Amino acid sequence: MSDNNKAVVDIDRSVYDIKDVENEQDFYRMEDGFTEDIVRKISEEKHDPDWMREFRLKSLEIYNKLEMPDWGPDTDDLDMNLISSYVRSKSDMKGKWEDVPEDIKNTFERLGIPEAERESLAGVGAQYDSELVYHNVKDEVAAQGVVYTDMESALTGEYSDMVHEYFMKLVPPTDHKYAALHGAVWSGGSFVYVPKGVKVDIPLQSYFRLNAAGAGQFEHTLIIVDEGADLHFIEGCSAPKYNVANLHAGCVELYVKKNARLRYSTIENWSKNMYNLNTKRALVEEGARMEWVSGSFGSHTSYLYPMTILKGDHSNMEYTGITFAGKGQNLDTGAKVIHQGKYTSSMISTKSISKSGGIGTYRSSVTINKEAKHAKTSVSCDSLMLDSISRADTIPGMDIRTNDADVGHEAKIGRISDEAVFYLMSRGLSEADARALIVSGFANPVSKELPLEYAVEMNNLIKLEMSGG
Amino acid sequence: MSEQSLLQVKNLSASVEELPILHDINLEIKAGETHVLMGPNGAGKSTLGYTLMGNPHYNVTSGSIIFDGQDLTGESADKRAKAGMFLSFQNPLEVPGISLGSFIRNAYHEQTGKPVKLLQYKKQLGEAMELLTMDGEYADRDLNVGFSGGEKKKAEILQMLMLNPKLAILDETDSGLDVDAVRTVSKGIQEYQKKKDGALLIITHSTKILESLHVDYTHVLVKGHIVTTGDGSLVDEINENGFEKYVRCEGCDGCSPLK
Amino acid sequence: MDLKMKVNHLPALTYRFLKSNDSEIDEKDLHIKSTRTPEPEKIPAGVIVRESISEEDVRGIFAKAKAKIESKKTDIPGPNGDTAPLNDSQIVRTGMGVEIDKLMAEMDAEVMLITTKEGSKVTEPVYIDFVLKDGECALGSQIVYAKKDSEITVIMEYDSEPEAKGFLGIQTRLLAEEGAKINLIKVQMLSEGFVHFDDIGSICDDKAYVHTINMQLGAGKTWGGNRTTLLGDASTFDNHTGYLCRNKQSYDMNYVADQMGKKTASNMIFRGVLLDEAVKTFRGTLDFKSGSTGSVGDEQEDTLLLSPDVINRTMPVILCGEEDVDGRHGASIGQLGDDTLFYMESRGIDEEAAKKLMIRARMESIARMIPDEAIIVRIQQFIRTIL
Repeated sequence: MSDNNKAVVDIDRSVYDIKDVENEQDFYRMEDGFTEDIVRKISEEKHDPDWMREFRLKSLEIYNKLEMPDWGPDTDDLDMNLISSYVRSKSDMKGKWEDVPEDIKNTFERLGIPEAERESLAGVGAQYDSELVYHNVKDEVAAQGVVYTDMESALTGEYSDMVHEYFMKLVPPTDHKYAALHGAVWSGGSFVYVPKGVKVDIPLQSYFRLNAAGAGQFEHTLIIVDEGADLHFIEGCSAPKYNVANLHAGCVELYVKKNARLRYSTIENWSKNMYNLNTKRALVEEGARMEWVSGSFGSHTSYLYPMTILKGDHSNMEYTGITFAGKGQNLDTGAKVIHQGKYTSSMISTKSISKSGGIGTYRSSVTINKEAKHAKTSVSCDSLMLDSISRADTIPGMDIRTNDADVGHEAKIGRISDEAVFYLMSRGLSEADARALIVSGFANPVSKELPLEYAVEMNNLIKLEMSGG
Repeated sequence: MSEQSLLQVKNLSASVEELPILHDINLEIKAGETHVLMGPNGAGKSTLGYTLMGNPHYNVTSGSIIFDGQDLTGESADKRAKAGMFLSFQNPLEVPGISLGSFIRNAYHEQTGKPVKLLQYKKQLGEAMELLTMDGEYADRDLNVGFSGGEKKKAEILQMLMLNPKLAILDETDSGLDVDAVRTVSKGIQEYQKKKDGALLIITHSTKILESLHVDYTHVLVKGHIVTTGDGSLVDEINENGFEKYVRCEGCDGCSPLK
Repeated sequence: MDLKMKVNHLPALTYRFLKSNDSEIDEKDLHIKSTRTPEPEKIPAGVIVRESISEEDVRGIFAKAKAKIESKKTDIPGPNGDTAPLNDSQIVRTGMGVEIDKLMAEMDAEVMLITTKEGSKVTEPVYIDFVLKDGECALGSQIVYAKKDSEITVIMEYDSEPEAKGFLGIQTRLLAEEGAKINLIKVQMLSEGFVHFDDIGSICDDKAYVHTINMQLGAGKTWGGNRTTLLGDASTFDNHTGYLCRNKQSYDMNYVADQMGKKTASNMIFRGVLLDEAVKTFRGTLDFKSGSTGSVGDEQEDTLLLSPDVINRTMPVILCGEEDVDGRHGASIGQLGDDTLFYMESRGIDEEAAKKLMIRARMESIARMIPDEAIIVRIQQFIRTIL
């Protein structure tokens, strides 16, 4: 923690909140709401192949039939008739940073994206509202055969068959209402293919920015890590704050083939008017490993439970997550795992912090099927309450269908101990600093899983939340 | 009986999770003999104890374990126990809901197949507990639950005395005990020695427990090999000079001295 | 009657696919004949037993506590998917919920009131035995009301003839006034042809203590609910549940410690064994309400799975709207560990015998808390017979 602390620079939330004035002529904005007419228009606008147009329309049908879940945070204030499904800059996607339109470039530069790319990333994609505006992969990574492109190019280009084979097979539109919505109106997102045996040493990154007020972002991320390959993918999200609801209903599908490894890290810092109803799922084959690192700080309301299907024998997963629910936020987060193969193992470890009236809910499910002999799972969730006007709820579930499983579960809820604060104050820290330090320490198991610059960002976000920002 | 070996370990090699730990161990124990197995930490002493007793985590990769005329190499632990082998654990199991007394009675019944004569059993248990300076109420307490380290070790020795095996393997029974407790435990071991033909394999890395015991043979185990075997006086020598002398040795291809 | 009752609501709903948000009792084909709680064998001095209490009387008994509960309500919102409103109309909130109240009312179940006088510490248990014959369908409703600084122990045993079929539904509501102590023990040894539910709801005022012990050993289908409202400051709730499910038996539980007062403590322990094709659903919730400063809660679940065909669902929930609390939940679910087995085997106890020994040990560890030797012996016999 001390290392990270050294690196902490004073941060100013305003960098996330700057609203870039969108010159209307430069942007195409779909009318609000979700109708068949709108879905057809999006499909046309995006030059979909026939199967995709049909897929969208079918998804919309499903969307109209499905109901919202009765168990999660309230979404009554989200009026779907006031959300625009599609907003894009009229300029095309660029492969060179200099070519990105000035106003968009400014936004990303303030967020430090190009800088990060130069320093520590193998490739970067940047999405602004509904479309990617920038995409680039380092030459040496591309030379290994690694494909990192926007979904639209993948859909019509060299990898179209692969996209057709995998697209929304893991998260079918019937999965839940917002998966159906996603199937109908998705746009943007990334396609990554890492060929057999290729190990990508430095991470790939996508950054999502939703700038338009009252818009929805529905990007689709499809990653296939082929046999024996290795990838770390990072996703960052932010948006300025508006007084109207914004909606994010992205979808991430991850295929981790035999003996491959994928680490998927997310720092989510949507603005606090965002409804983040995101779906992430990984299918893990024999001997493969899936690692999730997830930090949830932003959004007004979140439903986020990355699911891992341990299909192959000896496959395993690890989920490390932190959620910080501050004022006005209802963040319902966690993880799901299904053990299907033999000798599979899962480890879920989460931290949850609630403050200033925020509602933080840890929700999870562990399913061990009858076939999953010798399965092992351990779940550990810690919650920290920082005052008595907030909520911290822990709602895990387990469904075990074989005796040949080893299941451990631990949950704790507590507060910052007065003794700990007193101890730090006796060493000269102010009370506020002492509390902030303890919270950083609480979050440390998560931050240490992140690349340094993200750990720094996370610590800054914690500091910001602690100071009541 | 006295001419024939009770335990014969021939060219025994064993591994844990595919990591070889024991290499080509040969060991012979006759009825009534007391053997001591010494060696530095990590030498594989406890592994040998577990392997002899048949812990499924330890795989015998070659060699054999002949006990009382039977080849037990592939047998499960309960078969070995029924044949007369006993292992005193370093970390004995805790079982809420079953008392120490009733556990021993169960084990006795399983081993002999005979009904336990309650009065005789109670008398025997009482005497053994007295010898080990264990409060009689321990018999009614849940097996090892809430027992201190010393009490757990005493409970193991108590089981040894009650089950009366042909060979008792004592795995670091003295570790973590204070002087008084070591003395008590050693009294229990002496009592076992007194009885008939009970053989002992005492695994230890210190010599405290051996002070008041008669020792017939001493083996030194280093990096999974028995590097030397001597009589009881070897204990004193190691007590004085430690294991340094044995860490570089034949059959231990280029292993480094102790850290 | 032809209805399905929804009972055992998880206090905060979760994913539907886990099928644990509630449970349904199919009341079809039930012809309830008896609605009376058998008279206690002996009524110890200091205890008063009254039969056929009216609903108005019941409301009267709990009126003061209800008013206190109302006064403690805050603006802190409930959890996501809150199911509290579903059962708000109960006089005393119980583990299984309002549908049980409705069933009891519809069937005119007689309510037995067992009271202690103020300050009266009764050590001798009040013992009630339900013995059911083949084809018998019965309901029973009791209130145990321990007045200020009094103490009472109630033991209820449910037995049937072997091979008998039938139904037994029980609701027991408890009120422990300031400084009072209630021990409630329930031992269920019905034959497998029985459908059974046992619903408990308690209110604990200042410094009061409720201890429930449940042994679930028989019946084909069982629902169990147990909800304690720790209303008063420094009130305490302990629970020990032991269950053994075999063949196609199912056991559906909902335990809630609702911690409202300051410095309340709850401690819930569950030890169970599943054999054959048994199905178990466990819901256990610690609910720290805003204002429950200094409260602690602990919930430990330990389940031994001894057949590849069992289904074990576990929902360990902690809800929290208060900063100054300490809540914990631990669950350990699986078969006999390798280390356990090796230790047993090293003492000559083979795998089959070790399993039986561990089953008995688990049941025994709960059963021996019952302050009645004769019942402990009957439990031991029952277990020996079925193993």
